[in-house]
Amino acid sequence: MSEEDVPIEASTPVTGQSRMDAAWGSESDSVASVARPSTQTGQVFEQVYKPWNGTLNPRWMRNWAIFRHHLLGIFRKGHRPWGVPTKLFLIFVFIASMTDVALTLLFAILGEPGLYELWGVGRNNLYAHVLGFFPRNMLFYPLVAALLVGGVISEDRSNGTSALYFSRPINRFDYVGMKYLAVASIQALIILGTLMLYYFADILSMGRGWSWIIDTFPMFLTTMFCGVLLIVTYTSIGLALSSVSRGKFFPGIALLAIILGTKTLAAIVEGLFDKSILYLISPYDSIAHVGQALIGANMMYEHPWVWSLVSVLAFNAISLYVLSVRVSSMEVTRE
Amino acid sequence: MIPDVSQTGEAVEQQWVPQPKAPVVMLNNVGKTYGRYQALGGVSLALSGGVTGILGLNGAGKSTLFKLLMGKLRATQGEVRLFGTNPWKNPAPYARVGYVPENESLHDWMTAFDFVTTFARLHGLTRDEAKREAERVLEFVGLTDVMHKKIGRYSKGMRQRAKIAHALVNDPELIILDEPLQGCDPLARTTIMNVIRELGRMGRTVLLSSHILSEIERITEQIVILHQGRLLAIGNLHAIREQLDNIPHTIELECSDAKALARDVLSLDSVHGLQFPSTTKLRIFTHHLGEFHKHLPKIVVENNHDVMNINNPDDDLQTILGYLTGGAR
Amino acid sequence: MAKGRGETIWTALDRKATAIAEFTMRQYRTRISTWVVLGVGFLSISVVLLFYIDAMNTEIEAIDNDGDSFDSDGDGYVDGQEFKLGTDVYDEFSHPGLFNPPIQPEPASMYINEDDYDWDYSDARSVSTGYDDDGDCRESQLLESQKDTNNDGIPCNIRIVFNSLTGEYQIFADYGVDEDPDEDRYGKEAQHRAFVLAIGKLGFVFLLSIFIPLFLATGLIRDEMTSGTMHYMTAKPIARGEIFLYRMLGYLGIVWPYMLVMCVLMALISGLLGPGDQFFRFADLGVWFSVLIAALLATLVYGMLFSFLGVLWKYGIILALPIAAWELGMALLSMSVPESTFLRMSIVGWSMSIIDSGALLVWPDMDMFTQAGSWAGGSNEGDSFFSFESEALPGHGALEWAQSDLGLGMGPYPTIIVSMMVLLAQAAFFWFIGQLVFKSKEIE
Repeated sequence: MSEEDVPIEASTPVTGQSRMDAAWGSESDSVASVARPSTQTGQVFEQVYKPWNGTLNPRWMRNWAIFRHHLLGIFRKGHRPWGVPTKLFLIFVFIASMTDVALTLLFAILGEPGLYELWGVGRNNLYAHVLGFFPRNMLFYPLVAALLVGGVISEDRSNGTSALYFSRPINRFDYVGMKYLAVASIQALIILGTLMLYYFADILSMGRGWSWIIDTFPMFLTTMFCGVLLIVTYTSIGLALSSVSRGKFFPGIALLAIILGTKTLAAIVEGLFDKSILYLISPYDSIAHVGQALIGANMMYEHPWVWSLVSVLAFNAISLYVLSVRVSSMEVTRE
Repeated sequence: MIPDVSQTGEAVEQQWVPQPKAPVVMLNNVGKTYGRYQALGGVSLALSGGVTGILGLNGAGKSTLFKLLMGKLRATQGEVRLFGTNPWKNPAPYARVGYVPENESLHDWMTAFDFVTTFARLHGLTRDEAKREAERVLEFVGLTDVMHKKIGRYSKGMRQRAKIAHALVNDPELIILDEPLQGCDPLARTTIMNVIRELGRMGRTVLLSSHILSEIERITEQIVILHQGRLLAIGNLHAIREQLDNIPHTIELECSDAKALARDVLSLDSVHGLQFPSTTKLRIFTHHLGEFHKHLPKIVVENNHDVMNINNPDDDLQTILGYLTGGAR
Repeated sequence: MAKGRGETIWTALDRKATAIAEFTMRQYRTRISTWVVLGVGFLSISVVLLFYIDAMNTEIEAIDNDGDSFDSDGDGYVDGQEFKLGTDVYDEFSHPGLFNPPIQPEPASMYINEDDYDWDYSDARSVSTGYDDDGDCRESQLLESQKDTNNDGIPCNIRIVFNSLTGEYQIFADYGVDEDPDEDRYGKEAQHRAFVLAIGKLGFVFLLSIFIPLFLATGLIRDEMTSGTMHYMTAKPIARGEIFLYRMLGYLGIVWPYMLVMCVLMALISGLLGPGDQFFRFADLGVWFSVLIAALLATLVYGMLFSFLGVLWKYGIILALPIAAWELGMALLSMSVPESTFLRMSIVGWSMSIIDSGALLVWPDMDMFTQAGSWAGGSNEGDSFFSFESEALPGHGALEWAQSDLGLGMGPYPTIIVSMMVLLAQAAFFWFIGQLVFKSKEIE
């Protein structure tokens, strides 16, 4: 009780002490304490609130913070926790996706042209790196997407942490958009990152010249594009499922069921009745078909690839529609 | 060794009594650690009959204690006995126990009636018996009007009462209520308190936890204070407070003329400080609560003071804990 | 407390079991996700069914397997007619029109699918079968020795010999016997059988029996534990192992009737629409019954397994997903290499062998039937006189793909019994360790 004449203005820092004084200020003369030596009885309330006087950062910077928060969670503590098993699986898939890189290097060192042909950069190998079914799109990439997407929105909903975002100057679509980007970036790191490594490993190990690079670069870019298509489609479907459900696991299982289930269903129909048309309901096969057409790999489906392209677009459109509807109508409470 | 807080006030029952006459709840040097964090350490306790309030701040180990009793957690040291049986991996004693967990989640998709009926059947009741019992307990907690509505539509107090009803359905001898008053409005609070008091009157052993002393005070005077996993005090609330006699207390008086009263009060030896929050209020600091209370009425009457209210702000859990854990904080 | 409690321990147990099972079923029923999952399962199977209905209602295009509807010399008489009457097929001035009295040319369509299989498909090691419908063997101008090209002493027949080395049947046909089979008849029968097998093995045992438990059973215990509602149940005088089991009963109370209804529906539709002279293919019910048994057991085992994984770990699903992927691999493996030892370490492998056994019991001629499809009236044999089309009959490929041999090296009945025992043992094992883990689990 030392400071007496602190003028209370709008800009005055709000501390527990001065607010108290302000409250008693009208009859400060009646507040007296008898001066007797006494043992301190303890102070329960000691809080200093410092008001923040900065200016609000622009929108992109706030969005960047959300994005960073999700992305860095893969690498460090203190950001969005992804769960140890998820991280372990990501590392496993990252390493497993580099088998072709390793084999390229190995055969380049051994100097076996025959074996190198089998593993070096080529249309079919580029296609297989991103869109091959076994094991990549059966065991790796859909599982990665499923694990990442699992709780990304639904957990926020069930824990009520989405309220933490929405009580700040953050637009709902920015919030979802950044989550989308973060999940997609992590997948891109694995799928496209290893693809680039594969391409550069080939250039380095074989000492490729400019002519080879000019020859193959469009093919490489097309493959990158197909990879982006794959990632975007998986993420769209996954996030739509995540926004629909409340559980952590439901979106993951549902994504896997959609990707592998439709594939199995279409495989049954193809095996029995020799018709490939049902592959249109399988997101993976539609992307693979488009990829085969764009990259120029062996075509494995009978129907025109444009249908598959339409199907891919439809998958994305429906998912994004569901996502946006759910997000805009999302209740900011703990459900 | 094992303190007794049975309200009959008999001699301390320290010996391990074989099952038929075993105390309802007995903990012997029980501890629970999570890794290096000790949630509960060396707690010894024996209870039979009456309502007992377990007091403690958040994280004091109240829920851990209950979960140990209900076999949800395994004690890392000591023995836990429920009716003389170790409850870990042995659900047999639960036939005589009703437990109201702390968490708020409930089967929202059921009606309270179905909820209570289903769990009554887990006691081995037939369908008809279960329905009858459910109606009985729902009436006891005052939910008869709404018992056929979904629990999801209930208010917090109603949910809490539904939980209590489910715990009472087997007519248990021991009822454990983990924070039963948490988040309830005053009306629901009163209803639940009445229910608990009634249970105590019926001779059941009731254990309830809270971190608000005044709440417990309205139900029972028999308290156990836990702090940071340790048993801090046990017994009658007022007796515990008496023991705090040599510790500074604050008493707030509301009267017409605070300054006049202060003059008279200052003459007492037990008073060592005064404060005037406003003209009609007087705050008195004392070291000897008992002595002060002995003299205060005399001063008031002799000098004809008009005292409207006597407040004991120090009587809350925070302060008592502060003193018990070593005075000044 | 003297209250009219259970008379014996069994009636008390029974009360608890029905209480928890009923509770669990009601819990499932109130969740939308349950209905979505079951509905999507129904839709998926229906999509395949639609393709099946379409296939059954579309006539398979007839192919002239022996090529005798072609008029090689352009004299207006197709080769088949000329051959039967002994005129030169390649000489346009030699044809039955020059006979006295002249014979009118017959339409080419009479020589397509004119000699269908008349086979006794019974599983004999060596059998003499076949009948020359169109008479291009029996009534032709060939010598007796030319009518018995397979040298078994009987003219115009087919001898089928089981080759124990390759495990396949070898078909030795006399020239012109059953050489132009009816594609539609064979193809529909083959497609029908392939459909029953594929929908049973991949549809019911793989798709439905993995994904439905994955959705419904993983959270059976775990969801309650995370939401905190498990506190209510574990505070009652009931052992955790029982809770696990009775929750499982509730899950089965939803999933088993669903599987039953799906199976009956499929059996009815495919039985009515399937090829054959009868109104309803009653014999197929046996296969559908084996499909049902396999699906029920598979949902039981997967339910126990996923539920156990859920109890084991908060992230149980992360363990369940690779297992599901492994089972997909095993499903594909059991279609192609049914004797692989890897299959013994799976659940689909055992379940699928039940269906294969059931199919073998109902259709004992399966091997020979498949062989007949690839033989395709002799057009696939190197020594065939005419080699126009060297392709198997339609539907044969599907049947080859969907059907697989019994991998255990036992007859169908022992295979069914052993597989069922193994699946039940697996379920019991998962329940046992599941309840052990659950019992020693601390519930926060």
